[in-house]
Amino acid sequence: MAVVELPEWAALAPVLILAGTALALFVFDSINPRSTNRTVLAGTAAIGSLVALGVAVWFTVAGVGASGLEGFGAIELFDGQLVVDQMALYFMIIVAVVTALVSVASYDYMEGHTYQAEYYSLVMLAATGMATMAAANSLVTILIALELASLPSYALVAILKDNRGSIEAGLKYFLIGALSSAIFVYGISLVYGATGYLQLDAIATQLETGAADGEFAYGGLLGLGILMLIGGFAFKTASVPFHFWAPEAYEGAPAPIAAFLSSASKAAGFVIAFRVFTTAFPLDATSALIGVDWTLAFVILAIVTMTVGNFAAATQQNVKRMLAYSSIGHAGYALIGLAGLGAGSELVMGAAMMHLLVYGFMNTGAFLFVALAEHWGVGRTFEDYNGLGQRAPVACFALVIFMFSLAGIPPLGGFWSKYFLFTGAIEAGLLVVAAALIVNSALSLYYYSRLVKAVWFEEPPAARDSLGQPTGLYAAIVFAAVMTVVLLPGFGPVVETALDAAAAMIA
Amino acid sequence: MTVGIEYYVLLSMLLFCIGLFGILTRRNALMFLMSVELMVNAANINLIAFAFYHGNLTGQVLALFVMALAAAEVAIGLGIILVLYRNFRDVDVTVPTTMRW
Repeated sequence: MAVVELPEWAALAPVLILAGTALALFVFDSINPRSTNRTVLAGTAAIGSLVALGVAVWFTVAGVGASGLEGFGAIELFDGQLVVDQMALYFMIIVAVVTALVSVASYDYMEGHTYQAEYYSLVMLAATGMATMAAANSLVTILIALELASLPSYALVAILKDNRGSIEAGLKYFLIGALSSAIFVYGISLVYGATGYLQLDAIATQLETGAADGEFAYGGLLGLGILMLIGGFAFKTASVPFHFWAPEAYEGAPAPIAAFLSSASKAAGFVIAFRVFTTAFPLDATSALIGVDWTLAFVILAIVTMTVGNFAAATQQNVKRMLAYSSIGHAGYALIGLAGLGAGSELVMGAAMMHLLVYGFMNTGAFLFVALAEHWGVGRTFEDYNGLGQRAPVACFALVIFMFSLAGIPPLGGFWSKYFLFTGAIEAGLLVVAAALIVNSALSLYYYSRLVKAVWFEEPPAARDSLGQPTGLYAAIVFAAVMTVVLLPGFGPVVETALDAAAAMIA
Repeated sequence: MTVGIEYYVLLSMLLFCIGLFGILTRRNALMFLMSVELMVNAANINLIAFAFYHGNLTGQVLALFVMALAAAEVAIGLGIILVLYRNFRDVDVTVPTTMRW
């Protein structure tokens, strides 16, 4: 037990710290709007997210939200509208880590941008939204948190106001985002109509009593509502059928923002999907009412998403676009976590959570390498990356780690999470999904190693001058690489935390 | 005499489909925004009708939140459309194709 007894709302400290940092940056901006003091601004953002990260790790270690003897139990706030449990803290950690990496990397990448404070406060606001999504336990808070994460993201993608690519990316991201959030709201209204509640536990209770006494007449409405909710989650996680914004948005956006969206935003989308489908729609009762097992939808989505992502990635010439499609493929892997819930085992969902954590490092790192390449101005295609290894061995070695980890080569972090996903899928009886995972991983090795080959083995097209070594970008890349490797010996505690959190959700 | 709940749902579904049709056919970004607004308001009709039907206020409160969110979304959207116009001299969503593969 902790020596100091904190009040209950203090469980939200990671979220509050992120929000406070965003507001502090706004205050700084309103006092000194023309300031381009990157050290102070990026420093504030990085320190804020690191403090939030520290608090979230401390809470996890101290057992906040954990059940059992030394735990405090899940902390419900505001009548169960928000809940801080192990899963919430786990995903807050992912969001905070990625935010810290992105803030540090943006120090160099956004050099010369006129509106510095705006940029960092939008990043922090989006991070606040994502962290709130981790804790949201009602369709109301989920919707508000989701919009709080989405709206700043639209602006961030389009923040390079004179860059046509950035504007186009922002427009497409916004249009598809607005469409999917309208569908999501409509789905919420249908679920509310069918059950009369918006709080997730209350919906579950209503469905279970409805299934038990057979007086529940709105199965069709409920089914349609669930389908529309899946649409909203698919947008946020960049999975089929709302995946087509991802390549455009990631390619046009500033590279650190692409890293932020593809790692933190995706993880946040998954946490609400996990929470809604494990808490609000208990499998037996829901499938009795709507006549279909909702895991079936995720089985199909998982297979289609990973196949579409990987096959499209294999044909790309543009590195950032390749990473965008690979990010869609990884969303497909993480969807296995929902597809395998039918077996009632926590292994698949725990494995998906592990994958999202490892992914948070390796994918952020890979996009930050692209940011570094854009900072150097070497170009965007595979050929343009030829021979970078001779000039920047450290960053390129980190790139090798990211690529092989994304492909799932042992002994890197990405291998372990995929291994758990694979055994989880087998255990849940999803042999087709497990086979798709193996085939897609093998395919992904082709395009990941293509980048490694370009960087290390190809000759540069023309003699290059020596490349600069921007401190912030290098620090972020090296840190992400170190974490991708260190997660291997440190994987024991991660596995334990993820499985505990998943077990608590399913129970 | 009260109107049955099914008519409200029918109305909202109709409105939702009009919005969806608009999104699929219109090329003007502003029209797109208006269509999205229609879809969101269809959800609002549902929420309010169901709140009345279930006899609790949850849905009405959420409808208020949704209106605020829709307003915020439009604010961001108009900002993006403005920079779109500055860069491309058009608000046609099919014009920006610098990244078409």
